[in-house]
Amino acid sequence: MENQYWRSLAEREQPAAQELEFDGPGNSRRDFLKAAGFVLAGTALSGCARAPVEKAIPHLDQPGGVIAGRAQFYASTCGACPAGCGLLAKVRDGRPIKLEGNPDQAISRGASCAVGQASLLGLYDSLRLKQPLAHGKPAAWEQVDREIAARLAEIRKAGGAVRYLSGTITSPTKLEMIGRFLAQFSDARHVMYDALSVSAILDAHEQTHGARILPHYRFAAADVIASFDADFLGTWISPVEFARDYASRRLPPEMSWHVQFEGRMSVTGSKADLRVKAAPDEILGRLERLAERIEANDPAGDELAARLLRARGRSLVVCGLNDLAAQVLTNHINHLLGNYGATLDIERPSLQRRGNDRALADLLAELQAGRVAALFIDGVNPAAELPAAPALDRAKLVVSFAGSVDETSQHAHYICPDHHYLESWADAEPVRGLISFTQPTIRPLNRTRAVIESLAVWVGQPASAYELIREHWKDRIDWDRALEKGCAEVNVAAQAPRWMGAKLQRRAPAAEGYTAVLYPAVGMLDGRHAGNPWLHELPDPITKTVWDNCALLSPKTAAALGVRDGDVVRIEGGVAVELPAVVQPGQHDRVIAVALGYGRKASERFANIGPRWTGSKPTVNENGRVGVNASPLLALEGGLLRYERCGVMIATTGRRIELASTQAHHTLSVPTHLAPPDGKVRPIIREITPEELGKPPEHAEHHEELWPDDHPYTGHRWGMAVDLNACTGCSACVIACQAENNTPVVGKDEMRRRRGMHWIRIDRYYSGPPDDVRVAHQPMMCQQCDHAPCETVCPTLATVHSDEGLNQQVYNRCVGTRYCANNCPYKARRFNWFNYPSNDKLANLVLNPDVTVRSRGVMEKCTFCVQRIQEAKIEAKRLGVPLKDGDIRVACEQSCPADAIVFGDLNDPNSRASRLAQDARQYRVLEELNVRPAVHYLKVIRNRNGKGGQDHG
Amino acid sequence: MAEVCSPLRLPLIAGRKQPAAVTEDVCRPMLRPPSILWWAGFALAFSLLLMGVAAVGYQIATGVGVWGLNTTVGWAFDITNFVFWVGIGHAGTLISAILFLFRQKWRTSVNRSAEAMTLFAVMCAGIFPIIHTGRPWLAFWLFPYPNFRGPLWINFRSPLAWDAFAISTYFLISAVFWYIGLIPDLATIRDRLKPGLRQRLFAIFSLGWNGSYRVWRHYEVLYLLLAGLATPLVVSVHTIVSWDFATSVIPGWHATIFPPYFVAGAIFSGIAMVLTLMLVARKTMGLEDYITQRHVDAMCKLLLLTSGIVALAYATEFFTALYSGNPYEQFVFMNRAKGPFAWAYWTMVGCNVLIPQLLWFERVRRRLVIVFLLSLFINVGMWFERFVIIVTSLHRDFLPANWSGYTPTIYEIATLLGSFGLFFTCFLIFCRVLPVIAMGEVKAVLSHGNGKGGHA
Amino acid sequence: MRSRVLTIVLGIGVAFSLVVLASRASMFHLPANHQGYEPVQPIAYSHRLHAGELQIDCKYCHFGAEKSRYAGIPPASVCMNCHQFIKAPLGAIRAEDELAAQEGRAPREVVSPELSRLYDAVKQHRPVAWTRIHSLPDFVYFDHRAHVNAGVVCQQCHGPVETMERVRQVSDLSMGWCVNCHRDANEKGIGGRRVNASINCSTCHY
Repeated sequence: MENQYWRSLAEREQPAAQELEFDGPGNSRRDFLKAAGFVLAGTALSGCARAPVEKAIPHLDQPGGVIAGRAQFYASTCGACPAGCGLLAKVRDGRPIKLEGNPDQAISRGASCAVGQASLLGLYDSLRLKQPLAHGKPAAWEQVDREIAARLAEIRKAGGAVRYLSGTITSPTKLEMIGRFLAQFSDARHVMYDALSVSAILDAHEQTHGARILPHYRFAAADVIASFDADFLGTWISPVEFARDYASRRLPPEMSWHVQFEGRMSVTGSKADLRVKAAPDEILGRLERLAERIEANDPAGDELAARLLRARGRSLVVCGLNDLAAQVLTNHINHLLGNYGATLDIERPSLQRRGNDRALADLLAELQAGRVAALFIDGVNPAAELPAAPALDRAKLVVSFAGSVDETSQHAHYICPDHHYLESWADAEPVRGLISFTQPTIRPLNRTRAVIESLAVWVGQPASAYELIREHWKDRIDWDRALEKGCAEVNVAAQAPRWMGAKLQRRAPAAEGYTAVLYPAVGMLDGRHAGNPWLHELPDPITKTVWDNCALLSPKTAAALGVRDGDVVRIEGGVAVELPAVVQPGQHDRVIAVALGYGRKASERFANIGPRWTGSKPTVNENGRVGVNASPLLALEGGLLRYERCGVMIATTGRRIELASTQAHHTLSVPTHLAPPDGKVRPIIREITPEELGKPPEHAEHHEELWPDDHPYTGHRWGMAVDLNACTGCSACVIACQAENNTPVVGKDEMRRRRGMHWIRIDRYYSGPPDDVRVAHQPMMCQQCDHAPCETVCPTLATVHSDEGLNQQVYNRCVGTRYCANNCPYKARRFNWFNYPSNDKLANLVLNPDVTVRSRGVMEKCTFCVQRIQEAKIEAKRLGVPLKDGDIRVACEQSCPADAIVFGDLNDPNSRASRLAQDARQYRVLEELNVRPAVHYLKVIRNRNGKGGQDHG
Repeated sequence: MAEVCSPLRLPLIAGRKQPAAVTEDVCRPMLRPPSILWWAGFALAFSLLLMGVAAVGYQIATGVGVWGLNTTVGWAFDITNFVFWVGIGHAGTLISAILFLFRQKWRTSVNRSAEAMTLFAVMCAGIFPIIHTGRPWLAFWLFPYPNFRGPLWINFRSPLAWDAFAISTYFLISAVFWYIGLIPDLATIRDRLKPGLRQRLFAIFSLGWNGSYRVWRHYEVLYLLLAGLATPLVVSVHTIVSWDFATSVIPGWHATIFPPYFVAGAIFSGIAMVLTLMLVARKTMGLEDYITQRHVDAMCKLLLLTSGIVALAYATEFFTALYSGNPYEQFVFMNRAKGPFAWAYWTMVGCNVLIPQLLWFERVRRRLVIVFLLSLFINVGMWFERFVIIVTSLHRDFLPANWSGYTPTIYEIATLLGSFGLFFTCFLIFCRVLPVIAMGEVKAVLSHGNGKGGHA
Repeated sequence: MRSRVLTIVLGIGVAFSLVVLASRASMFHLPANHQGYEPVQPIAYSHRLHAGELQIDCKYCHFGAEKSRYAGIPPASVCMNCHQFIKAPLGAIRAEDELAAQEGRAPREVVSPELSRLYDAVKQHRPVAWTRIHSLPDFVYFDHRAHVNAGVVCQQCHGPVETMERVRQVSDLSMGWCVNCHRDANEKGIGGRRVNASINCSTCHY
C-alpha cells in the first residue's frame, strides 16, 4: 500500500456518505451528465488544482437493452396542448433529453411545435409539487385519499353537486374514468372548457349539423383558403398538422391561394397571398357579403368569391372568431361550396377542442350561487384564464390535479399533483378513430400520481394507469404494435351528420372606437407554460419581443396617440390593463392586440434569472411577473368566451418599460436619409412570382472565381437548403435547437442588450406599402462558409474548417477575442458574455450529454448538430453500411412542420439538399462576398394573383 | 580660429549654456524633493490607475458582459483604447530613431522623454488585447509555444497573432533603445550622487560607464545600429494593427488604405501627446532653455503634415466607398456621417482636420498655450477616429436584422481613465527618477549655432 | 592552474545537476495529465487474474465497448454470473477441506474477503462505487464504438491491463497522443485495413 497515488486529498479521506451524491463542490454539472449510466461523485476539495476524483457506480443489475451512452427513442404523445401530436422521446440513460415529432403519427407526421419542444423542460421543473398538498401542507397520498374519500362520502349522502372542471380531454380512458367517478354521485357533471375556446364552432355545427363537433380541417386538399382571423399556422387548434398540410400545397403548379382577413398581424397572415385588414367586428359583415355572393353564385367582382366558386369542393373557409353567427355563416359557406366531406371532415371529426363555454358559464353561476359541493379541477387554471376568478371558496371541497401551485390550485383544499406527461401512461384520441399513446420515459421524479389513478382510487378500485389503459383497449388494438408506432387506427362506426340548414341572424354594424383583440402568442398559448424560460425567451415570430406581452398598435394609431415602442399604455374597457406598446405594421388601425397567457404566478420565478452583476436589471416587471395577464379583458357573454372587446379606450400613462427585442430594424431597405446611391434595398430576401418561376431563369450574376478551390471535399460536404416560401416563422426550430444544443437562457436584460444565445434565429422583414405589408421569415444560422471570414481571423485556431465543409468551433481552444463574431457577415456567432449555465440541478438534467456546456468567455454557434453527424457516421461504420441521405436530421430540420429546412450531403447528387441547391429558386445570402455559404435559400413565391394554382382566370 | 557663425544656424539650446550647466539643470529636479504640483499630479494619476485596476478586476472576475458590447458590436472601447495607445507610442521611436538617422539635432532635447512616453503608451496598449478576451488567463495562447496538443498552434493568418508579435517586439526594441540611450546619463548621475542605495542602483544600471573615448565610440555605433533597427518598427507596428481591420470583410474595415492611414494617424497622435507632455514638463521643470520655441515649431509642422495625410485618408475612404458601387460600403460611410454616431464622426473630423489647420499661422505656433490646447484636441480626435472606425462599422453591417447600438458602461469608461492613470503615473515617476533630457546628447549640440566653433 | 581545476569541478557539477534535472523533468506531469494514476479500488479486483490467467475477453464485462460511446463498468450481476458459484480461491477451499478432515468435521464454506464485499453490495442493494481511472475533460468526446469496431485493440490505449493487479492509467491521454495515433492509423492502417481516422476538431470536440 505504500505506492498509492491519489488525485486529491479528498480521495484519501473518502467520505463514504458523499459517494452516491450526484456531484459535489467543484464538479461541473456535465461530469454527471457525461458519465452516462454511472453516477459520478465528485469529492474534490475546492481549489484543488487536480481533477476531482470521479466515482463510477454501475447498476447492480442492468436492465436489458439499456446500454450506457446509447439513446433510445420511445413513441409518445405530446401533452403540451390538446392537439395531441405524436412524439418520439429521446432517452439517454433514463432521462428524456429531446422530443421529436413522430413520423408515424398522423397529426405531427414527424414535426413538432415550439411549445411541444419546450414542454420537455417542464418535466425537470423544480417548482413541480413533490407530493400532494392537503390544505396547503405537504401530505401523504394515503391521508389525502382518506380525507377526500370521507368528504365525498358525506357529499354523496347529502346528494351534493359534484363538478369536474377540465380542459379538453382527448383521452378515452380518462373520459371513461371520469364517467365512472362521477357516476357515484346523484348530481355530477363533467365540464370541459378551453382557455383558447372554439366553442362557437361546435355550437354552430350543433345548429347546422345537429352534432356538437369540430370538423377536421384538411388544408392539404384546399386550392383556395379563406381564413377569417384564424391563425391556423400559429396557434389555432392543431397548428403543426395544419402547417404541414398547408406547406404541402405552397409550390406551383399545385400552389394554393390563401386569403387572410385579420385585425392583427398573425403568423398565418404573414404567409397569406392576399391579406386584408379587418377588425373582428367587420369580419361578420365580410362573411355575410361572401355568403350572399356564394348563394347567388355570382362573384360580383369579388376575387375571393370568384375563386371559391371556381374551387367548389376544393376550397376551405375557416373562421377564428368565437362567435356563433360568424361560425354559422362559415358553415353555410362551406356547405354551399360543397367543402364538407372534402376539406372539412365531419365523419371523423377532430376532438382537439371540446370545450363548451355555455357549460362553463353555468358552472360559474353555480359556484357563485354556492350550489357546488365538490369541484375537481384538472389541467386548467380558471382563476387566471377567465375574465373573473371563479368563486372557488364557495365550494365545500375543491380538489386540483395541478402539477404545481398556480392561481387556481392555491385555493384548492387538496392538490393531487398529476404526472408530467413524459412520466405517465396515457392515451389520446385527437381525431376520431386515431388513438395515440403516451408511455413513460422516466420514473416519476416526485411523488405525483396520474389523474386516472387518483380517480380509480376514489371509485374504490385502485389500479395503475397502465392497467386501466391496457384494459380500455384490451381487444381493440394490437397493443405492442401500437406502443411501438405510438398510435393506432380504430374503426369507429361513423357516418357524417347531415346538413340541417342554418338560421343566419343579422348582427349590428361594425362598432366604433378601438377593439382589443386578445390572442394566444405562439410561445405562450393559454399560459399553461408560463413557467418555462425557453418559451419566454423565444422571440415572438412577428413582433420579435421577448419576456413581455405588449399592446400592439398600428403605426397610424401609435402616431395618433404619440406612443413609441415601450411606452406603457392603459387599455380600458370595463377593466383596465396597462401594457407597454409596440408598433405593429400591417395591423388594423382600430385594433389593439394583446397576447394572453402572460403575467402568471408561475413567471414569478424569473425574478433572478440571468447573470447578476452591478448593471443587470430584473427580468420581471413591477408586478413581479413576466408581462401582464390580459384575461380580465376577456368576456364570457352569450355562453361564449369572447376574445375581442369592442369600444375600449386607450391612453398613455407616461411610464416606459424597456422592451427586449431581438430585432431593431425591420425592413431590408436602409433608412432613406442614409440610403446610398446604389442599393437602397438589400437583396437578403429574394422573391419570385409563379410566372417568373415558369420562365427559364436569365442568370445575370456570374462570379469569376479568383482563388483555386482550397476546400476539395472528397467525402461528405454538409450543406443545407432553407425554403423561405415554406417557413412560417413558427420558431419550432429555435426551441428544438435550444434543447439539442444546450444553449442557455440569459434573461430579459441580456436580451435587451442584444445578447441572445439562440444558435438559430428567424429574421423577420417587412416590405410593401403600409396598407399591404408583406412579411418574410428568414431562418438564419451559421452558414458554414467555405471561405469563412471567421476562420482566418481567429488567432488561436479555435474555429477551423473540417474536410466535410463544417466550420468547426472548438470551445476549449477559444480565448474569446470576438474577432470571429465581428467578422461574420451573418452575425451567426454567439458569445458567452457571462457564465450562463444555471445551478438548478434538476433543470440541468435536460442538458444534452452529447454537447459541451459552454463556459464563460468562449464563442459558440450553430454546428449543424455535429454531434448527430458524428453519431450517425460512427453508427453507420459500426453496422458497416454506407450513410444514407436522411440518416442525419439536424434538430431544426427535424422539428420543422413546414419542412422548410433540409440538411444533407451536397456531394451526393441525389440527396434532397443537393437537389434543392440546384432549384430554380436557389440563392445564397450575401454570396457576392464570395464567402461561399453552405446554406442555400429558396426564394419566397409571391402568389398575389394566384397564378401558382390550377384555378387561373 | 575664425568665427564661424552662420545666421542660418540658430542655436538648439537657448541661454549659451556650458556643459556643466546642462548637467546642473537636468539633475536639479531629480535631486531635490518633489514639488507640491508633482504630488498633486501623481495623486490624481495614481487614483485614476487604482480605479482602472478595480474596473478591470471586476470585469475579469465577472465577465466581458459588464461592458456595453453585444452580438453585433463585439469590440468598442477595448480595441479603441488599444489602437489609440499604440498610436501614441509611435512618436517616441519616430523622434528618437528616424530623426536621429536624418540628423535632426533638435530631437536631442525631447527624445528621452518621448521614448519614455512610448514605453508607457505601449504598456497601456498591451493591456487591452489581454483584458478584452473572454478568458484573459488563457491569453498566452496567442503566442506560439510548444504544447501537448499535437497539431495545434497559433493561426499565422490572423492579424491578432501578429499584433502579439508586433507589440511585444516594439516594446522590447524601444525599451532597449531607451535604456542604451540612458547609460551615459545614468553614469553622470551615479557620479553626482552621494553613496547609498540609489547610488548603488545607478552604478549597476550604468554598467560601469567611464566616459572614455572607447566607450563613447562603441556607444555611438550601437546607438546608430539600434536606431536603424527601430526605424522599420515605426511603420510595421501600426501597419499590423491596421490589419486587424483591413483583413476583415466588414464594410468600413475592409480597406487597403488602412496601413499608411494608420501610421500617419499614429504619428499624428504621438506627436500631439509629446507636445502635451513637453509643454507641461517645460514649464514645471524649468526646461525652457532646452525645449525651445524651435522644438515646438518643428513638432507643430509635423502635426500639420500628418493631419493633412489623415484628412486625405478620410476623404479617400469616402471617395472609394462611393466610387466602389458597393452598397454596403457606401452605406457605412453615409451612416458614419449621418447615422447614430455622426456626433463621434464630426468630433473626429473637427479635432483632426479642421482645428490643426490653425497651425498654418506662425502666431498660433508661437502661442504655447494654444498649441497645448490644440494638442489636447488632437488627442481626443484621434481617440474618436478609432472609435468611429470600430463601432460605426460594426453596429450597422450586412443584415439589417442584426443592426444594433452601443453605449459604454461605467466599467469601460473607468478602464479608459485607468489606462491614462497608468500612463501618467509612470511618466511622473520617470520625471522624478531619471533625467528627462539626454544630457550627453544635448552637450554634444550645445555649440550648435552658438558660434563657439567646436565641431560644427 | 587552480582556476582550471575549479572550472573542471564546476563543469562536472553543472553536468551532473543537468542530468538530475533531466531525469526529474521526464517524471514531470502537467496538471491535467494523470498518467500513472493507480487508485485503490473498493474491491481488489485483479485484471491480471481475470483477463490474464483466465483469459476472459475484455468485452465480456465491458460489453458497451462495441455498441456505445462508453465501454462501461460491469454491473454486479455480471460478476455474479460466475461468482455466485466461485466464492473463494481453490487453494483456500482445499486448505479448509484438509483442516476439516483433520478436525473430523464438515468443511465450512470459505468466502474470500474481497468477494464478500461484492456479496454485501448485492445483498444491501448498494452498487459498488469504483474509482474512475480513465476520464477525459468535459469537452472531449471519445467513442469506444468507433475504435473497437475499427479493430483497435484495448491495450493500444489502456496498456497491458491483463498484466495489472490494479489498473493504472498507462497513456497520458493528451490531445497530441490521440492525434498522433490517428495520423499513424491513416498512414499504416489498422490490422492491414485502410481506415479513415479523422483529425477534424469536431471529431472529438463539440
